[in-house]
Amino acid sequence: MAYKLMAAIDVGSYELELKIFELSPKNGIVMLDNVRHVIELGRDTYVTGRVDFKHIDELCETLYKFTEVMREYKVTEYVAYATSSIREAENRNIIIDRIKVRTGLEVKIIGNSELRFLMYKTLSVRKDFERFIEEQTALVDVGAGSVQISLFDKGTLVTTQNIKLGSLRIRELLYRLSNDRQHFYWLVEELINNDIYTFKKMYLKEKSIKNIIAVGDYIMYFAMKGGKYTENMTREQFITRFDSLMEKNAGQLSQKMGITEEQATLLLPCAMIYKRLIEETQTENVWFPKVGLCDAIAAEYAIEKKIIKIGHDFDDDIINAAKLIAKRYKANQNHIAILEKNVTTIFDAMKKIHGLGNAERKLLGIAAILHDCGKYISMSKPGEASYNIIMATEIIGLSNREQKIVANVVKYNTEDFFEENNQLDTDDRNDYLTIVKLVAILRVANAMDRSHKQKFKNSKAVLKEDNTLVITTYTSDDITLEKGLFKSKAEFFEEVYGIRPVLRQKKEM
Amino acid sequence: MNEKKDISIPEYYQNRELSWLKFNERILLEAKDKTNKLFERLKFLSITASNLDEFFMVRVASLKDMVDAKYVKPDIAGMKPKEQLTAILKETKEFMERQYNAFNRSLLGLLEKQGINMITYHEQLSEEQKLYVDTYFDENVYPVLTPMAVDSSRPFPLIRNKSLNICVRLKGEEEKFATVQVPDVISRVIELPKTADVRNFILLEQIIERNIDKLFCGYEVVSACPYRITRNADLSIHEDEAADLLEEIEKQLRKRQWGFVIRLEIEDKTDKQIIRFLKNELNVETHSIYDVNGPLDLTFLMKLYSVDGFEQLKDEKYIPAHYAISGEEDIFTQISRKDILLHHPYEAFDPVVDFIRQASEDENVLAIKQTLYRVSGNSPIIRSLARAADNGKQVTVLVELKARFDEENNIQWAKMLEKAGCHVIYGLVGLKTHSKITLVVRREEEGIKRYVHLGTGNYNDATAKLYTDLGLMTCNTAVGEDATAVFNMISGYSEPRQWNRLSIAPYWLRERFLYLIKRETKYAKEGKEAFITAKMNSLCDKEIIEALYEASGAGVQINLIVRGICCLKTGIEGVSENISVRSIVGTFLEHSRIFYFANGGNSEVYLASADWMPRNLDKRVEILFPVEDAEAKEEVIEILGIQLADTLKAHVLVGENYEKVDKRGKKLLSSQTYFCEAAKEKESKAGNPAGRLFVPVIVKM
Repeated sequence: MAYKLMAAIDVGSYELELKIFELSPKNGIVMLDNVRHVIELGRDTYVTGRVDFKHIDELCETLYKFTEVMREYKVTEYVAYATSSIREAENRNIIIDRIKVRTGLEVKIIGNSELRFLMYKTLSVRKDFERFIEEQTALVDVGAGSVQISLFDKGTLVTTQNIKLGSLRIRELLYRLSNDRQHFYWLVEELINNDIYTFKKMYLKEKSIKNIIAVGDYIMYFAMKGGKYTENMTREQFITRFDSLMEKNAGQLSQKMGITEEQATLLLPCAMIYKRLIEETQTENVWFPKVGLCDAIAAEYAIEKKIIKIGHDFDDDIINAAKLIAKRYKANQNHIAILEKNVTTIFDAMKKIHGLGNAERKLLGIAAILHDCGKYISMSKPGEASYNIIMATEIIGLSNREQKIVANVVKYNTEDFFEENNQLDTDDRNDYLTIVKLVAILRVANAMDRSHKQKFKNSKAVLKEDNTLVITTYTSDDITLEKGLFKSKAEFFEEVYGIRPVLRQKKEM
Repeated sequence: MNEKKDISIPEYYQNRELSWLKFNERILLEAKDKTNKLFERLKFLSITASNLDEFFMVRVASLKDMVDAKYVKPDIAGMKPKEQLTAILKETKEFMERQYNAFNRSLLGLLEKQGINMITYHEQLSEEQKLYVDTYFDENVYPVLTPMAVDSSRPFPLIRNKSLNICVRLKGEEEKFATVQVPDVISRVIELPKTADVRNFILLEQIIERNIDKLFCGYEVVSACPYRITRNADLSIHEDEAADLLEEIEKQLRKRQWGFVIRLEIEDKTDKQIIRFLKNELNVETHSIYDVNGPLDLTFLMKLYSVDGFEQLKDEKYIPAHYAISGEEDIFTQISRKDILLHHPYEAFDPVVDFIRQASEDENVLAIKQTLYRVSGNSPIIRSLARAADNGKQVTVLVELKARFDEENNIQWAKMLEKAGCHVIYGLVGLKTHSKITLVVRREEEGIKRYVHLGTGNYNDATAKLYTDLGLMTCNTAVGEDATAVFNMISGYSEPRQWNRLSIAPYWLRERFLYLIKRETKYAKEGKEAFITAKMNSLCDKEIIEALYEASGAGVQINLIVRGICCLKTGIEGVSENISVRSIVGTFLEHSRIFYFANGGNSEVYLASADWMPRNLDKRVEILFPVEDAEAKEEVIEILGIQLADTLKAHVLVGENYEKVDKRGKKLLSSQTYFCEAAKEKESKAGNPAGRLFVPVIVKM
């Protein structure tokens, strides 16, 4: 058979969703089935910090029913992700374990940036996407727990920011405080305004937004009118529709739109976020592509299994995002450019020895780009500061695990590293080894540009049979400093790999 | 300039109960119609009686409830419940008189002319016949009778709904009453030995009445009279509170036997003391007592219809044709080629049964999902579903336990399917699932494919021979997606965010119909092509009628074919001048729901499980689906055209009354006969072996 079936499960903050997909090179991604069940896990997490045991029970029961639907299609491959309501819950490990025991499903908690990157990947398969992001465009994803705003310009990602302002979160915060509908709107607006103002000040500055790409579950209801889905609206159309909806209370909205009152109460804060963004910017068009986490899971799966091909290079976006962070923290751009090049040269030469793949190569490149950002905070403890910056910043496309690897690699580039003393915050043995291997390369490469004068512009690295890695640089510059400081870094490298790095200079004529 | 009329005033609407009575009157007209064969006329008369029973059990009972609860809200036509009840009681009494007049004055005589002697009173028996019935009583009837005396220590027993009984006044030391149920284990129509060329029939209650004294030794039987009661049979199910819907319905079904008495039928000339006694014991009001001039419960005529040997007095039995589906190729291949429209009963229901059967046996079928509202006694569909589960397929069946008068039947099916390993859903809280949809999920070389059958009628192979319905088989991806969503929704998952092709009640269907009607209004105003042709069983939704009135006012030509209730009035100046309504009552029960809209020249045709009634639009799960395949669409449009041209079996609504079609200058046409003939012609063109009597066995060499 020329197709593959897979299931995607989204354990969301407001509802659980299962989609069954048929993937084939011929027809691409075709959704076969879609079941949803409303369970407001976010209501527990955002208010009490834990998911209530009754909800855990309902969650497991529904997921078990999902497995029955999967059995119906004889689907064995699946990807199940849990988002912020589980991620932020204190009892998340217990929840994941209960699900595993009662349903057999392995649910992975997905980090925010990983989630957004997934969405972005899915969208990028759509034709309109490339056209939109040629102009200044904000991809705004309003979820139950947070809002992610990613800015694009000239076809590339400029920045991405997460604001804890999701529909469910807002409703839970304000619903009980409000006396009536009008008062509720007023409170929501006030709450949103503050965050939108900060975002604008920090990231938009003189730039403006021409297009908004609106994604997320609740805004889809906004785009539904008379049983039909409107994919595009002008600024005026959006405002008119918003005003007409705001005149109604949740009950009236539910009746008019054929949605539940619960959904109506979530649509209101969500629409308000978009409206305020539109008002604060020069937005002309709003695009409502229908894409959810399950679609994103399927797209990623299909790309990974090479069932579908995409033209866009996502690694470029990640690297770009990392460079923007480095720029924000005033890192030496020339230095990180040469460092990024040199770590890659060494990594590639050592391929047979370290046994790492492209994913780690990408992480090493990002670590090189971000290795200096901590100096913006502290010159004395740049490693620690860099670590904190990396862990606190959204780097689109990196999972929480990958983010930790990068942060640790950067940290131990400058800080002493003692083997097996549990100084790394990772429990995974493989991750530990990856970090160590990458630190060794980063240290050596960093030493090659100790003076930050890019003397090692043209370098080659060759692994010799006598267990040496000969790094040859073609330069007429004086490299005494680099050579002198190289020794200590080379020792650590040798300790890790059993290979001794040797620096050689060939003078350029 | 024309003043805009207020189209919501009650004068523009008819009361639904009175409109229904007019429908029953049209069936009575068929019983009186001399152009119909005699036994067909008996059948029509029998139908009027069973229809009336149901009308009392449900509609009159519900009105009585409203009156008792002092509910005074007027209906669509401005009538308060009490006014409606008064009008209904008057109408039904007159109607029953007309029923018995047709029986006594016309049909009995005609039967006699055909050599059929229907002995309605035992006093008419000859000496030989008396001997015969007395022996018959002693040997067959007596052992199954349970006479029940009523006195201070023995209260009046529970009299079952619709059962026939005999009340006896006894004289002993003191006067007593007793009651005996006419047993339903023995046929009510009993044939007596032939006399000359005449075949004689008598009713069981007359045999019992004649021999009643044998049951009360030591007493003198003063008088004995048959009686029959109709009870309130509307179930009040507390779905929200019920932990198990199946158990709750079983409980309520038992209670149905205890519903209050709505009607007491007695023969005229019944002993006045017996009437008084029954009135007291059964707690019946005087106006609810109906004394009839003839045998009680005319549904026995259906039994007479089934007696062998009178084929010349019946219409030739129509054997459904086979043409749209070939029996030689698997059904999935045929559906893959093109959408298949089925027009029952002209075309056999077998393709639908085969569809489920093949799916149950096909190794590539992963799942079968179906909604069942009413199924036949020995349903091949149920058997296939059970087999499918046995074959490891995922089988999901929604069995609507609340299908009125089929509750018991459906409970049995639900239990049986569950036992076979199917996932059975008993229905939805507060809603009846009336939609007729089947989804078959099949794994094929190119991917997963969904085959869907959607219909206007039930998955009932028995009634599919009598009801006119349309069904569509398709593997259209958009419809398949919607069908999947329908089953997910009724399995308890959230409703989909949007539908591709189907419109579902109760959430979306009303809005969709209103949109489609209003779109015609808009086009008419813009001078574009605008018309509506719609066929259904009943039309009584005020919002829909208002939209139709508005459309008519805007110049939309509206042709409606409404079999039963129609609360709309035609010919109101400025309101409904452009609306025509006709009702077709024929051998087959008109049951299909078809909706055809001009849409400014880009016409759209839909089929549905729903009528334009509030209950269909607000309280049920119903499906409206488009017919998009050009050939199938043409066929549906042609069906409507033929029905609109019916001059023999159609009645036209003029104001609020029905008249026979004015045949002058028109071709004489019975649409049902036309469809029968056309189907046979199609079958012979298709050369379908399934329709042939002699099918050669092909030996593969």
